[in-house]
Amino acid sequence: MIGILKGMAVTLRHALDGETFTVEYPETAPEVSPRFRGVHKFSQERCIWCRQCENVCPNDTIQIVQDDKRNGEQYNLHIGQCIYCRLCEEVCPVDAILLTQNFEFTADTKNDFVYNKEQLKNVPWYKDIDPLNSRNPDRNAWIGEGEGEVDYQ
Amino acid sequence: MSLQAVLPDTISGLLGLEGILGDVVGGLVGAFLIANIMLIMTAFAGPWAKRKITAAFGDRIAVNRIGPFGLLTIVTDAVRLLSKELIVPEGVDRPAWDLAPMVIPFSALLGFAVIPMGNGIQLADPETGLAFAFAAASIASLGIVMTGYASNNKFSLIGALRAVASNIAYEIPLVVTAASVVIFAGSLRMSEIVAVQAEPLLSVAGVTIPTWFAFVNPFAFALFIIANLAEVGRNPFDIPEAPTEIVAGFQTEYSSVYFVLIYLGEFIHIFLGGAIAATLFLGGPAGPVLPGFVWFTIKIWAFFLFTQWARSAIPRLRVDQFLEIGWKGMLVLSFANLVLTAIIVGVIV
Amino acid sequence: MPTSKDNPVSQSAEPVFRTADWHEREAYDLVGIQYEDHPDLRRILLPDTWQGHPLGLDYDQDRPQIATLREHANPLEGDHRSAGDSNTMYINIGPHHPATHGVLHVETVVDGEQVVDLDSDIGYLHRCEEQMCQQGTYRHQIMPYPDRWDYISAGLLNEWAYARTAEDLADIEVPEYAQIIRTMGAELCRIASHMIALGTFALDVYGDFTAIFMYAMRDREIVQNILEDLTGQRMMFNYFRLGGVVWDLPEPREEFFEKIRDFIDELPQALEEYHDMITSNEILQARTVGTGVLPPEVAKSYGATGPVARGSGIDYDLRRDDSYGYYDELDWDVVVEDGCDNFSRLLVRMREVEESAKIIQQCVDLLEDWPEDERNIQANVPRTLKPEEDTEIYRAVEGAKGELGIYIRADGTDKPARFKIRSPCFSNLQTLPEMSEGEYIPDMIASLGSLDIVLGEVDR
Repeated sequence: MIGILKGMAVTLRHALDGETFTVEYPETAPEVSPRFRGVHKFSQERCIWCRQCENVCPNDTIQIVQDDKRNGEQYNLHIGQCIYCRLCEEVCPVDAILLTQNFEFTADTKNDFVYNKEQLKNVPWYKDIDPLNSRNPDRNAWIGEGEGEVDYQ
Repeated sequence: MSLQAVLPDTISGLLGLEGILGDVVGGLVGAFLIANIMLIMTAFAGPWAKRKITAAFGDRIAVNRIGPFGLLTIVTDAVRLLSKELIVPEGVDRPAWDLAPMVIPFSALLGFAVIPMGNGIQLADPETGLAFAFAAASIASLGIVMTGYASNNKFSLIGALRAVASNIAYEIPLVVTAASVVIFAGSLRMSEIVAVQAEPLLSVAGVTIPTWFAFVNPFAFALFIIANLAEVGRNPFDIPEAPTEIVAGFQTEYSSVYFVLIYLGEFIHIFLGGAIAATLFLGGPAGPVLPGFVWFTIKIWAFFLFTQWARSAIPRLRVDQFLEIGWKGMLVLSFANLVLTAIIVGVIV
Repeated sequence: MPTSKDNPVSQSAEPVFRTADWHEREAYDLVGIQYEDHPDLRRILLPDTWQGHPLGLDYDQDRPQIATLREHANPLEGDHRSAGDSNTMYINIGPHHPATHGVLHVETVVDGEQVVDLDSDIGYLHRCEEQMCQQGTYRHQIMPYPDRWDYISAGLLNEWAYARTAEDLADIEVPEYAQIIRTMGAELCRIASHMIALGTFALDVYGDFTAIFMYAMRDREIVQNILEDLTGQRMMFNYFRLGGVVWDLPEPREEFFEKIRDFIDELPQALEEYHDMITSNEILQARTVGTGVLPPEVAKSYGATGPVARGSGIDYDLRRDDSYGYYDELDWDVVVEDGCDNFSRLLVRMREVEESAKIIQQCVDLLEDWPEDERNIQANVPRTLKPEEDTEIYRAVEGAKGELGIYIRADGTDKPARFKIRSPCFSNLQTLPEMSEGEYIPDMIASLGSLDIVLGEVDR
């Protein structure tokens, strides 16, 4: 009986202290850490079409189409299929593909989740955080590690 | 003999009707009023208060999007539930399956007919009032058995059988404990039970404590509340529903309007349980300053709050343990209480 | 046990170890090995109508799977299973049931409310994880997947299983600093995972999404925030890399340490609250003490590991017995309870949270004082790993639910030829009939909750 009363006391204390841990989402945007990985942002200006991101992607989320002179034509990324592992950002030698902190994306059909390079370019920053900037100290830890020079194919 | 005029008489008196016509009109209007009061309370309790209370215990906010404090959720929930498709599973036993959702809420509403709610709000005041209230409340179990039997679903069947088992096991201690109150009061008539409790028990520093039976016999009150929790099927005795064990128990197959009716019925049942407890042990509508009806409302909401608190804080018993407590614990204790009360009353009076 | 390619038949080990039952069924199902004298060699993960054995080398992936509706088993057919015995009733508990923690289907025969016979039907969440890993490169592409086996925030523990296996396969030495970060992260994951195990177990016994579940989720939330700061994701971390971790601790480091310390400091109070809410509650004790009994010999025979084994008095913890990471340098204890019932499994988890907190505390102390120029988070690892042909390796770590082992056979390319996951939940779930037969349905549900299975890891 004492145990039951203890449990009732604990719940009552929580009910009366008025503290809540709910985040009222659309009104208060949740805090995300600088390392958070969200929707990709792609910069065609930076990209050198080395196709490393396409190769490293574990589940073929990235599709790159090149013409016969190996100039890039299309850069498609299925953000609904992506598992947000950040390997593409890791292998990119020129920071052309980034994972922003933006986690808010919707679509009516799953096909709408296939972003082309224009859509990827227009992905907004979340709260104006530039992830490259906030993760910058760590980036150097990856580049330059491993054997030999970065492979541009 | 009634201590004060019951509601139908008041209404027919106001309308200036007499004879059978007055009885019929007064009765209908009175019943309509009381049923609506209870339904409004249930509407507050079900979609809104329950969520808010549970959320408070779990450190959350709960509904707050629609209307002030999310109160309009009641409306949207009603629209949502009523506009859903009524799914009739294959092989259900049609008349019983359709009747059960009506039996459950209306049996609980029926019990309110004899409850004095203060300010002369009482539909009828028969000499066997208390027995009537218990009898009406138990019809709900018939409804539950109908749902379980007619649903053609094994989970429903288990839920219904559990409901029957719990009802038999806990109805007896409930009634026997109530009988000890009847010995004190010397009457089954609800208004007289309330009237007896109005007498002062003792006076401390100018504050008079009335002879509410909860003060006179706290042990019986505790027994009654526990048995009542089982009777209305709330934690730790919510075994007829037991969502993690048997999905939703007897109401597994119900959707849409039928589900709303069953859901309503459960909440009205909680309020009826609270109303009987308030009448028997807490002086009914009695209370200082505020009018009787307000006190009555506070008391039944307090019981509702208690059920929700228990739901948050107390684990569910297993069905065999539950029955063991009922038959070996509650039954013995309630009879002991009855005998003791009878001896004490016999010696004093 | 090697068998010939032409005639893959082996002798069943089921009479020796009961755990072989499901494991051999799995091998039969996926690879196509026949076992002699196996009592019940059926498919376990794939549907009964599946044609071919997908991990077998002769499997034609392009051949369509055609099965008419009539061929599929009718879930209601079991209705008539006990026709001769009119006292029993057949119930499908799951795959959609509030208490199965996912899509588990328990075919139950009950006598009144007592469970007479019970058979778990798994495979609803089979996502071909083994094959996906076989198609990924060692260096990068496998690491994101372990997060998705036991997806209830035990990600780092799972990643470590793969990291350990692949590092031993390729002879990679992990820097000490990275090992400490790994240890700390893994224990944070263990706390998060045990919190939800605790919350959902209480949920199974309480019956509603009630207070204790919310409190456990709230405390898990804090852990998740810390892990998000560390790894960048809340559940699918992908934080480990072969030879270390991907990121150093987040800057500013003091703030990060402060966050962890705050959590560790408040943990005893939270646990006190849990003890008030659950373990000292008489009703919960009545529900859990002496129910779902799993004697140590049975647990061993079924290959149960983790908190389930330790709740049955088996003193077995890979962190100590096959030490990896930084565990052997730290001061902590293996939690063992002798009750063998649901209650002791619950207690083991609660006490393990305390032990994990102790480990994290020591890791934070070590990391704080680590010299700045020796913060080496990753060893030098070649960009492509090509282990020699026909090298085999099995390594296991202590996951949140038990021994999570990985077997890899290399074929000289940069992808594994065979990637086998020994999932703790898979073995633990096998014990459910032992624990529940003869008990009441509510106890069966409680036992299932106390096993703390994650269907993602059972079905893979």
